[in-house]
Amino acid sequence: MNTIRRRFQPEQIRELVLIALIIGILIFFGTQIDNYFSPRTFTRISTSVAVIAVVAVGQTLVILTRNIDLSVGSIVGFTAYIVGTILSINNDIPPVAVVLMAVAMGAVMGSINGLLVAYGRVPAIIVTLGTLAIFRTVLVEISGANSVLTNELPRWLVNLPPVNAFTLGPLDIRLLFFLAVVVVIIFQLVVSYLPWGRRLYAIGSNPDAARVAGFPAQRIIFTAFVLSGALAGLGGFMFLARFGNITVVAGQGIELQSVAAAVVGGVNINGGLGSPFGAFLGAILIDVLDNSLIRWLAISEFWRDALLGLLILLAVATDTVIMNRLRKVWARHELQVSGDGEPPVEKGGAGYAA
Amino acid sequence: MRKLSTIILSLLVISSLLLAACAPAAPAPAPEAAPAEATEAAPAEATEAPAEEAAAEATEAPAEEAAAPSGDVIVATPGQAVKMVLMPKFLGILVFDQANQGAQEAHAELGNTDELQFLGPTPENSVAGQIEIVTNATTQGVQAIMISNNAGDQIAPAAQAARDAGMTVVTWDSPIPSAEGEQLFVAQVDFAETGTVMADMARSILGEDGGKFAVLSASPDAANQNAWIASLQETLTDPAYANLELLDIVYGNDQSEDSYNQALALIDKYPDMELIMAPTSVGIVAAAKAMQDEGLCDTVKVSGLGLPAEMVEYTLNGCAPEFALWSFVDLGYTTYYAAYLLATGAMQGAEGETFEAGRMGTYTIEKDPTRDAGLRIVMGPFTVYNADNVEAASK
Amino acid sequence: MRPDWSIFRRWEGLLLILLILIVGYNALSTPGYLTVGNWVNLFQLSIEKIIVALIMTFIIINAEIDLSVASVMGFSACMMGFLFAGGMPMEWAIAGGLLAGFVAGLFNSFWIGIVGLPSLVVTLAGLIGYRGLAYVLLEDRSIGEFPAWFDRLGQQPLIGPFPLALIVFFVLLIFAIIVLQYSGFGRYVYVIGNSKDVARYSGVRVRRTKMILFVVSSTVAALAGILYAARLGAVRGDMALGFELDIITMVLLGGVSIFGGTGTMWGVLLSVLIILNLRNGMGLANFSGHVQTGVIGVLLILSVLVPNLAGTVQAALKRRRARTVEVVAAE
Repeated sequence: MNTIRRRFQPEQIRELVLIALIIGILIFFGTQIDNYFSPRTFTRISTSVAVIAVVAVGQTLVILTRNIDLSVGSIVGFTAYIVGTILSINNDIPPVAVVLMAVAMGAVMGSINGLLVAYGRVPAIIVTLGTLAIFRTVLVEISGANSVLTNELPRWLVNLPPVNAFTLGPLDIRLLFFLAVVVVIIFQLVVSYLPWGRRLYAIGSNPDAARVAGFPAQRIIFTAFVLSGALAGLGGFMFLARFGNITVVAGQGIELQSVAAAVVGGVNINGGLGSPFGAFLGAILIDVLDNSLIRWLAISEFWRDALLGLLILLAVATDTVIMNRLRKVWARHELQVSGDGEPPVEKGGAGYAA
Repeated sequence: MRKLSTIILSLLVISSLLLAACAPAAPAPAPEAAPAEATEAAPAEATEAPAEEAAAEATEAPAEEAAAPSGDVIVATPGQAVKMVLMPKFLGILVFDQANQGAQEAHAELGNTDELQFLGPTPENSVAGQIEIVTNATTQGVQAIMISNNAGDQIAPAAQAARDAGMTVVTWDSPIPSAEGEQLFVAQVDFAETGTVMADMARSILGEDGGKFAVLSASPDAANQNAWIASLQETLTDPAYANLELLDIVYGNDQSEDSYNQALALIDKYPDMELIMAPTSVGIVAAAKAMQDEGLCDTVKVSGLGLPAEMVEYTLNGCAPEFALWSFVDLGYTTYYAAYLLATGAMQGAEGETFEAGRMGTYTIEKDPTRDAGLRIVMGPFTVYNADNVEAASK
Repeated sequence: MRPDWSIFRRWEGLLLILLILIVGYNALSTPGYLTVGNWVNLFQLSIEKIIVALIMTFIIINAEIDLSVASVMGFSACMMGFLFAGGMPMEWAIAGGLLAGFVAGLFNSFWIGIVGLPSLVVTLAGLIGYRGLAYVLLEDRSIGEFPAWFDRLGQQPLIGPFPLALIVFFVLLIFAIIVLQYSGFGRYVYVIGNSKDVARYSGVRVRRTKMILFVVSSTVAALAGILYAARLGAVRGDMALGFELDIITMVLLGGVSIFGGTGTMWGVLLSVLIILNLRNGMGLANFSGHVQTGVIGVLLILSVLVPNLAGTVQAALKRRRARTVEVVAAE
């Protein structure tokens, strides 16, 4: 027990619990549904998780700083549409350039958010509510409400979803899913080991202290929004590849899905706690539930959203109530172990409250 | 003190609104109040604009009542000023753009000196948006509106209010189910026939042994798709189609994301399904792409109603061996003619009237056998597309 | 801690000017604008949203947020439709729908008040969950064919040219103004919004106030949902989808701070009128719903950005003046 306590922070336990939960749900549905454990199921879940996972990572970066980005849905739709339109006109743009174009577009939109939040000091929820509407409006006006059509897109893009990065035994690891996993890994490393990443946590958990300590908080928050936009742009590219036919309202609702994935994955909405890997697990958990409910004929698929809402509540309740207790227990034992036999002092207060 | 002045100012605003509301004596129903009202602060235009248009109609209507009695073919008199609005279910779908193309063609042909506007809601706000556009059109004094109805019977009150204000209301592609507020429905094909066409395509694709299939429709409120599905279900009761089994009906709301996900959900839920029938041009493309992405084109086929331009690739590679449609350009064109004739008073919209719709020929108004009430004209034939003719049609 | 009147006197003045400009412009550019019919339409098209905006004001001033209102609207209306379609008399079905909203409010307030979870997360879960329950009840169907008296109440004028929903709005508006600005409860709402801890140490029953607010919020949302169903003549699982954003925008534009503690009902009333007139004017000028929403989004951002920038400029000027004074004094 002591070794576990020594090695793992409560937050890491959280992620392990999530993994256990995912496995548990998979096993449960495996008993209920025929042919559940097939490569097809894996492919279905992995391909549909890919877009949300990428966007959720960006959302996590922003939430860590005690902000929120509600405009990601509009950014995804915008980039998917514009990139699709450009490709319809000119089929010969090289794939890498297409991806960079999508990312750059997203980054520009994210920077608008960042400017207003970090330098204009407008609360993030207001800015992103506004840009949610503005980006969507600009898209509708530019496009004249036309749609991007699959048959006008270059072949490589339309045929991208079934392409495999590699195969692991019977499982196909699709290229788009692999891309999402790479993104998650990169940003997990960033927030764990790079100073910039660590400062996100500092700003989120105590903005005043961070400022007093001299962090360039505004620049860091600005960058977080730019990254969120850039990742949403990448998500837009993946969205385009998956669905092909893009209407002007594409991507609506992705912002809520990404926040839900982050929250279920242990990212604290008040900032300072959580990780991109957690958000990834949250997205997977939600998607597993989604896809399994569709096949589970015992209850109607319309229970999906109701159960998802309950899941979010339970996830956050667990976070708050149990993690608080765990942290107190951790702290108490730390003091006991490191102290000289003095009775443990329970440290309540700001440092340990959520 | 300053707080008081704010309160007083705000009260002034509220009370001026209430005054504006209460001052005119008669508590008439809202839409009729619009032309009659326009008192106090309102600029003079408000009263003059509707009066002007009414006068213009009055003077022109007798002028072309040339071949009025029914039995004779009514021909449109070009060159009049009729303010018209073409409203699709929502914007952003190619078929509706084609309908607009047809309407613009008729607009130019008839030399209508007033404007033709193409207004529609965005897909996620289709029902409320359509109701709002009809309501606004009534306030603006539009003379004729052509609606492809996506709001079921919920649009009937607004349509009826428009009729009460003197507006011509013609539906196309998808009618108002109760026919309340609607003068005439321009049907692209006979809705009962649609069911047979779909059943025949299913039989031809699934072959002698028949098989199981599911329907991927548009919005659950869409009158046209619902009518087609109902006629399909009825056709299936015929013993000739006994070996076809309809597993489920799901709705993709004419959105590619939703339709794509629904198609995937169908193959997850029904592993032995062999065909997805999608009577919606968005759904059929999304379903075909989904099957192609999953590599299932050999086992699960896709069919329904779609545009050759969008489906050509999938037909040629075997995912969607057969599908059908009609010409939306022609539909828009014909609808425009019908609305123009009604709005200018040349036609009364009564059963039995025959009129000429430009290059589309003559049509006779008849009772709509697929609904309890309502009049319709039926435009034209289906075209079934397969690998032979799809490429040519997609140009 | 009394609400800071001076700042928002200025803000509401600005809103009033903006409102007059907008109404004036619309009246001049669209014939038929200043008619009873148009104004009733103007309100009717968004009447359910503005009813909920009244209670949302309380919640945001209290430094909380309720994202689930639109889903509760849908859920209650669907419960009503479900009960009616199951054979219950209409009056009982309506009561059932209201009860559903009330229970939803209790559920929300349990997690927020007793368990202590952040309201953003709880109501986000509610947004998704109650919508899901609405779908569970009705699946893909829509329930219509309500008794004629129900449809008539929703669509036809009741007293003079005013339909029932509009009358409900005015009654609730007056009630809300009195409670928020002139009652003890309203003052508690402000105090808690300013600082939850200060309020608690001052003896204010924080938890109870919050729980009451969330229960009222969901019940009012249920009422709005039922009025919406009467206006449309039908209920569907996805009705009122996305309304919460509009409602929150209306409140924030009215000068209510997202951090709580400041804002007045007058401001929200003015902002509601501005948004309704803007939408109606743009609608009559044939701007699409998206352009309308976009313009309102710009307005929302400017509403906070401009005072911020003004404050920065003012502070900079003050500093410069102070420095000049120092220099002069030093000489």
